[in-house]
Amino acid sequence: MKSFWHNITAGLKDIYDVFTLELYRIFTDGGVMLIFFVGSLIYPLIFGAIYKHECIQNLPVAVVDDSQSASSQRFIHKLDATPEVNVDFHCNTLAEAESLMRQRKVNGIVYFPNDYSDRLAKGETARLCLFCDMSSFLYYRSVFAGASSVMLDEMKHIELERYAMAGVTGQDAETAITPVPYEDVKLFSPAGGFTSFLVPALLALVIHQTLFLGIGILSGTAREEGQTVAIVPERLRNRSVYRVVIGRSLAYMMIYIPLVAIDLVLLPRVFGLPHIGRLGDLCLFFLPFLLATISFSMTVGSFVRQRDTGILVCIFFSVVLLFLSGVVWPRSNMPLFWKYFSYLFPSTHGIQGFVRINSMGAHLKQVQFEYQMLWVQSGLYFLTTCLLYRVKFFKYKDGAVCI
Amino acid sequence: MRHLWNCFCRELGLIKESPRYLILLTAGILFSYVFFLTFMHEGQPENLPIAVVDQDGSYLSRRLCHEIDATQGVVVVAVYNSHSEAREAMQRQEIFAFLEIPAGTYSEVLDFKTPHLALYSNNAYLLAGSLSYKTLSTIGKLTSAAVQREVMRKKGYSEDQIMGMIQPIEIDAHLISNPWGSYLPYVLTTMLPGIIGVMALLLTVYLVTNEYKLKTEKIWLSTAGGDMLKALIGKLLPYTCWFTLLGVVGNIVMFGFSHFVCLGSFFALSVALLLFVMAMQSMGVLLAGLIPDQHLAVSIAAIYGMLSFSMSGFSYPVVSMPPALQAFSYIFPLRHYYLTYADVAMFGATFTQYWSHLCWLLCFLIAGCIGGLLLNRLAKCDSNKAAIEC
Repeated sequence: MKSFWHNITAGLKDIYDVFTLELYRIFTDGGVMLIFFVGSLIYPLIFGAIYKHECIQNLPVAVVDDSQSASSQRFIHKLDATPEVNVDFHCNTLAEAESLMRQRKVNGIVYFPNDYSDRLAKGETARLCLFCDMSSFLYYRSVFAGASSVMLDEMKHIELERYAMAGVTGQDAETAITPVPYEDVKLFSPAGGFTSFLVPALLALVIHQTLFLGIGILSGTAREEGQTVAIVPERLRNRSVYRVVIGRSLAYMMIYIPLVAIDLVLLPRVFGLPHIGRLGDLCLFFLPFLLATISFSMTVGSFVRQRDTGILVCIFFSVVLLFLSGVVWPRSNMPLFWKYFSYLFPSTHGIQGFVRINSMGAHLKQVQFEYQMLWVQSGLYFLTTCLLYRVKFFKYKDGAVCI
Repeated sequence: MRHLWNCFCRELGLIKESPRYLILLTAGILFSYVFFLTFMHEGQPENLPIAVVDQDGSYLSRRLCHEIDATQGVVVVAVYNSHSEAREAMQRQEIFAFLEIPAGTYSEVLDFKTPHLALYSNNAYLLAGSLSYKTLSTIGKLTSAAVQREVMRKKGYSEDQIMGMIQPIEIDAHLISNPWGSYLPYVLTTMLPGIIGVMALLLTVYLVTNEYKLKTEKIWLSTAGGDMLKALIGKLLPYTCWFTLLGVVGNIVMFGFSHFVCLGSFFALSVALLLFVMAMQSMGVLLAGLIPDQHLAVSIAAIYGMLSFSMSGFSYPVVSMPPALQAFSYIFPLRHYYLTYADVAMFGATFTQYWSHLCWLLCFLIAGCIGGLLLNRLAKCDSNKAAIEC
């Protein structure tokens, strides 16, 4: 019994020693401090500033009115009044508008053919042409949304006129035009903005990537300095990898709990992003997210032989991970291989779960799959880390590498 | 010229000695090409999962389900009985939108009352949410149109008259240079050169600071005859060629095999790519000159490099950013490459229109020269220090 207690206290002491040593290493490494503290706080602030405005408003468009009629002018006035676009140029020919588009002075052209009003007068379908700048999808979205909202409004106006000519007016005409009206409800981000959609995902990615990068750099530095995978107190060399892994994990946990609280709880409130998730669910979700990220980073980190390799790998993977998370490109449409590939990374489940709890008010029950996967990853990567550390410790057991 | 050549050969020798970094970077770049080309091969997501909340259970609601299922954009994966079930399914990300058909819809249509359909879309996933919303709202409009058409037929209107009544205006949309509305050209054409650029930047910072770290800067400088500019050009030239080559091959894949639209000259695009790689390398030299500590310099370069994707404005337009950031966007070479690409490939611009972007890219070379001066001073400082120590 006594030896049992002795083992426990010795183990705890070892863990504590590894923990303090790791903290010392973090706080004495400028690069790691930069990534951990400056990176994880500056990036969200910059992203918040870049994507400050949810939607694009008042995009300049040019109008070419060959019809020169009251109905086309009414359309143009209404178009100018939409929040999405501004009619900045009235051109006489399509070529003139085209050259404006080439000079990038307008992001769209609306063209009314000369038979526009004639067709309307005859009760036929009138056609107008819309040319969209596709250099950014948000231009296309805004120009198209502006033009189609005016079109719907104009259509109603014209239909009412036509029914009136046929002797149907008032409520009867309204019912005749839209016998089955529909209401659209845009859930979780009523403005349909880019910010509410992208920034929460980026915040979770920043946590994942800074942690991954920091641990990668620390492992790389240790290797560059001729150590094994981690610097450990002398008496712990060659034994008890669990204590080393747990001790290091605790150090990262301690640093990242406040950072997660700032980035993923405080900042959505400061930036006015959606934050309808319950705090309890969020905290319960962050625990496996951090654990999985830390163990994953330590596993990958043990392959990093040089400090800067970690940075290269991380940089290049950031963009890929954002796409793999399924926030930008829907998960239902991913090729099967990439879908399963994405399950390897804690960021995939972390981003998904965070977005759904934070922005969509999901309970833990609805992110059950992600939650379980993160715990599985935590366990699995913990074991692989221990295994890799053990292999590497043994490799250097003969004392070829000393402090 | 001889010095330049010597320096160039020395760098080739160094690559041959430890080709690990170059192989790693090249593998990374090739992986991104394969990843993005296969990942979004659909171009625009199709058959997005949606649901119907059918409280009516009538002929009309059943038929609506089938109509929705038959569209290209979405597929009905579930029919729920209540709103809360559908909302939970949405939170589980099983569906991106749902259409709610309240009880009594069909009988109200027959009675000439106006039943209301409700359409819910998930905007937390912008692309999937808005695409499924678009399809469902079309269905919503068509439902009204179908009822309207039946009524008018019964009243004895001709088909032409009916069409005029139902759809008095039609928009004929022309999506310039991307008629499919595909995501591939939109994301890949800027993202992939961007990745190459960031790699070039990081490698430059690493290599230049490495000379100082390993204290080989004197050997390096002496190979170039003591001229820092020649030393830098000789050292970085192999990478400039290699990254530009990778970029051009990537562009050939995109504009050739994947048939993205390139209205202007491909040569101009390649020149822009070359200047872009050089600009990124120049920024790398500047950073290496400003921050002699290798670790810190690489970390700062990583932060700067990652920001260039956001600041280039290809996903979120720069004009919508706060004014201070708009000015800030000029110091990112990717921004100028993206603008050149849009002008050349999407609008078929001629040199008179896009020359200013190329000039901006050339301006970054000045940053490289300043970096060279700083590095030169650093080398002298180091040798002075060494002399004092001696």
